[in-house]
Amino acid sequence: MGIQEQYRSEAAALLSSGEVKLVIGFGAGSTADRRRPLFARTPEEAQKFVLDAACIANLSTYLLAEGLLSDGKKVGVFLKPDGIRSVNILISEAQLKPEQVVILGYAIENGKDVAALEGRNISDFSIGEKIRNLTPPPHVIEAAEKIEAMSAEERFEYWKEEFSKCIKCYACRQVCPMCYCRRCIVDVNQPQWVSTSSHTLGNFEWNLVRAFHLAGRCASCGACDRACPVNIPLRLVNYRMGKEVRSAFDYVAGENSDQKPVLASFKQDDPETFIL
Amino acid sequence: MALFAPVPETLSTQGFRMAKIGVFVCHCGENIASKVDTGNLVKALSDHPGVEICNEYKYFCSDPGQETVKRAIRENNLTGVVVAACSPRMHETTFRKACAEAGLNPYMLELANIREQCSWVHSDKDQATEKAIEITRSLVEKVKRNNELKPISVPVTRRALVIGGGIAGIQAALDIAGAGREVILVEREPSIGGHMSQLSETFPTLDCSQCILTPRMVEAIQHPNITVLTYSEVEEVDGYIGNFKVKVRKKARYVDMSKCTGCGDCIQKCPVKKIPSEFECGLGNRTAIYTPFAQAVPNVPVIDKNRCTYFKNGKCKICQKTCQIENCIDFEMQDTFEEFEIGAIVVATGFQIQDTSVYGEYGYGKYKDVITGLHFERLASASGPTAGKILRPSDGKEPETVVFIQCAGSRDPSKGVKYCSKICCMYTAKHAMLFAHKHHDGNSKIFYMDIRAAGKGYDEFTRRAIEEDEAEYLRGRVSKVFEENGKLIVRGVDTLLGKPVEVAADMVVLATAIVPQPDAKEFAKKIGIGYDEYGFYNEAHLKLRPVETATAGIYLCGACQSPKDIPDSVAQASATAAKVLGLFSREQLEREPVVAAVGEATCAGCWGCVSACPYNAIEQKEIRDRNGNLVKEVASVNPGLCQGCGTCVTFCRSNSIDLAGFTEKQIFAEVMAL
Ligand SMILES: Cc1cc2nc3c(=O)[nH]c(=O)nc-3n(C[C@H](O)[C@H](O)[C@H](O)COP(=O)(O)OP(=O)(O)OC[C@H]3O[C@@H](n4cnc5c(N)ncnc54)[C@H](O)[C@@H]3O)c2cc1C
Ligand code: SF4
Ligand code: SF4
Ligand code: SF4
Ligand code: SF4
Repeated sequence: MGIQEQYRSEAAALLSSGEVKLVIGFGAGSTADRRRPLFARTPEEAQKFVLDAACIANLSTYLLAEGLLSDGKKVGVFLKPDGIRSVNILISEAQLKPEQVVILGYAIENGKDVAALEGRNISDFSIGEKIRNLTPPPHVIEAAEKIEAMSAEERFEYWKEEFSKCIKCYACRQVCPMCYCRRCIVDVNQPQWVSTSSHTLGNFEWNLVRAFHLAGRCASCGACDRACPVNIPLRLVNYRMGKEVRSAFDYVAGENSDQKPVLASFKQDDPETFIL
Repeated sequence: MALFAPVPETLSTQGFRMAKIGVFVCHCGENIASKVDTGNLVKALSDHPGVEICNEYKYFCSDPGQETVKRAIRENNLTGVVVAACSPRMHETTFRKACAEAGLNPYMLELANIREQCSWVHSDKDQATEKAIEITRSLVEKVKRNNELKPISVPVTRRALVIGGGIAGIQAALDIAGAGREVILVEREPSIGGHMSQLSETFPTLDCSQCILTPRMVEAIQHPNITVLTYSEVEEVDGYIGNFKVKVRKKARYVDMSKCTGCGDCIQKCPVKKIPSEFECGLGNRTAIYTPFAQAVPNVPVIDKNRCTYFKNGKCKICQKTCQIENCIDFEMQDTFEEFEIGAIVVATGFQIQDTSVYGEYGYGKYKDVITGLHFERLASASGPTAGKILRPSDGKEPETVVFIQCAGSRDPSKGVKYCSKICCMYTAKHAMLFAHKHHDGNSKIFYMDIRAAGKGYDEFTRRAIEEDEAEYLRGRVSKVFEENGKLIVRGVDTLLGKPVEVAADMVVLATAIVPQPDAKEFAKKIGIGYDEYGFYNEAHLKLRPVETATAGIYLCGACQSPKDIPDSVAQASATAAKVLGLFSREQLEREPVVAAVGEATCAGCWGCVSACPYNAIEQKEIRDRNGNLVKEVASVNPGLCQGCGTCVTFCRSNSIDLAGFTEKQIFAEVMAL
């Protein structure tokens, strides 16, 4: 039995036993190499699940749909390690209760093979060490290094150019599991900290606010990057912020679900170089 | 209860009134007027929308100045006031009071700081004027959006905690208790007394330290208002001025305080007799069950668990068998914890002397007869290991020549500390005198940098050492101490004669630097007060608020703040007592209403603010619908605990927290006006 069939029947079993009320997975997409989320509430619907190397989206975002978990029932979800990592972050930020999430874990190897991951509950997946040693894909590192090698002026020009493309569609925010606020700061208009029109200054404000809000929280799933209709390399921003946080506080987001939010917790030996 | 009074109307939009702002530009004599063209400033602000009246004056903080402000408020029905003058730290209170007296809510006042942040730091008058205009405008924009706030009142628990039972702590406790308030005095050693109990005689009067200290110690322990907890440590401090919660660990003494009569039989019989006594600085020994010194208060021994044969090998209990009282010695005793509600905290944790082994060249630690001043105190003390005879630790012989080295650590940025330890000049003179009094043929030579003897009777004291007791003062540093033919050769330089000197001494006494307690910094973090680069605790203002810390309700006295002698420690202790009693004179305390409040509609319940708040002021709160079902959990600020620091505001990603008096609308308007 291939992994797809195996996971279909496991999802069906979870639904028919009543253990979960819903399984969030992947269904066929608009083209052969695209998948779209599929929400199965019955064992029959579970038979439509697809699981292959095209299933790259981070489905943990859907766990945060308003009201979904307020009845205390469980929900199953297909997750890759980056999705599991974001669930860890969400639990540590009190947005999910670990007992409500049943994980159908899988990993994509070499970009083509799909392997099952052992475990069902978040505590079954000890991904801490893996995440610590995780290196982003070579092209991300390469791009990041190129930017880091630039002078401050060149770097500013580079990002000005990139951010000037932003059309303020907020797709990056909608797709990101960490952007769960009911009201985002960009929607605050009393006072209007971030201007709504998509001129360069306003775009800078938005993209930098997002960068700061994700510092030490990004799960590196790349969803924002893929969602951006104008191809701004958003992931590079978050990658860089993650690196900063790691070097300053030895903190890697999503290693486990008991982490304290890095920028809101204090340790005696935190660096204080900013205090003159 | 007032503590949970409704959050001040931070987020509410008070009925919108046409702004009528009064702007008052102060010259501060020449301080502002010399660098800022106040006439231009007045002109510019007079035209600013919403400004009803704009004046200038030489000193607005003066009586007539304040009158002008008050009259303008009354006559023009002002809705807000901006005083363009100095820092709010200087005169915010002054002008708030003036506003209140004229019937305007005091929180409708803003100070535009055009002195510290403008005239004092700029030289170009045109630019400074332009900057002053911008600063003042931005405050006008802010004040238009100010809300009327009311002070929060919180109850005051009229019970003080004094930490440290040295002379400073004892004095503070006695003064507070004497005025009828309860005091908890916590001392971590088995006895109160601190360093003063180790001293022989004290400058500048040469009265015996024990004789003047012991009565105080006894008075403290017998005082009906004072609870003395020795062998105890403060574990946790929560809360805020008037309302601290303090957890104290009472370390297991293994001797029941309520039963022990202090007969000392157990100490006599303890077989472990060769433990170097901390109190005697290692010059004498103690047993495993011990009181640190004969006059200890309370006179109840403790068992040193690490040295006791029973705790080490499971056999002995001789002390228990000796003790006449049943179950008085209890090897099963455990540490216990007690919590106290406290209104004010006095920190009096004292000092230690610097470890002099960094000065390898002085031979401390290598030669037994190179000792510190504190060793000398024990040798000179009638109750000390030599019964008051100055004898060499190496062979017990009387020394003929004693060399004293001052500033052995102080005023030495390379190896020691930069500061002057303040008391060493005086106690070295005292030591030379005591040596002369006890040993008429002896002679003492003192290497010094300067003699700093400022204080009542102090200079006379050092003169007496030189003139009557023939102490020989050599101005210069010592480079080396080494042994030769049974003598300690002290090689140094006499800078007044401009030539090197060598003295063959029998004993060398180092006036080591006074440094903070080893755990001073950690302890400061635990109780939430500031400290300097060394670990001495910071006062709120060196000159004007010397016994308060920056944390409201926590006060300082004694050598934990800086090196101090007994007179200064005692004076400061009485000063803290006055502050504490001032606080305790009221049942309710008015607090600044600058507190945070959470917008529950948008709070995402991430608890980031809960862990970010340095004062633990944010709690989790459940929101339920009318059927009692949980809708969501949100953050909620306890206005009694909130200090208005704004940390949570900056943390909250969804912008759900606002700070009264500094709302985002106000700040935004301020920024946009620039
Ligand atoms: C060699 C020498 C000679 C001196 N001679 C003189 C003299 O002749 N005349 C004079 O005026 N001054 C003299 N002094 C100075 C005098 O010793 C000090 O001024 C005085 O002891 C300061 O008192 P204090 O209460 O601040 O500190 P301390 O005496 O150090 O007392 C502090 C107390 O706090 C306790 N403590 C510390 N941390 C904690 C904690 N975390 N919890 C609970 N308890 C704690 C300590 O155990 C100690 O009992 C001399 C000092 C030295 C070193
Ligand atoms: S997805 Fe891209 S274009 Fe859209 S708001 Fe984000 S950065 Fe801008
Ligand atoms: S910021 Fe982008 S990469 Fe990071 S968690 Fe959000 S969507 Fe994923
Ligand atoms: S940080 Fe903001 S969103 Fe998070 S709990 Fe606090 S108030 Fe709510
Ligand atoms: S303003 Fe400061 S003290 Fe008040 S709740 Fe926020 S973080 Fe805590």
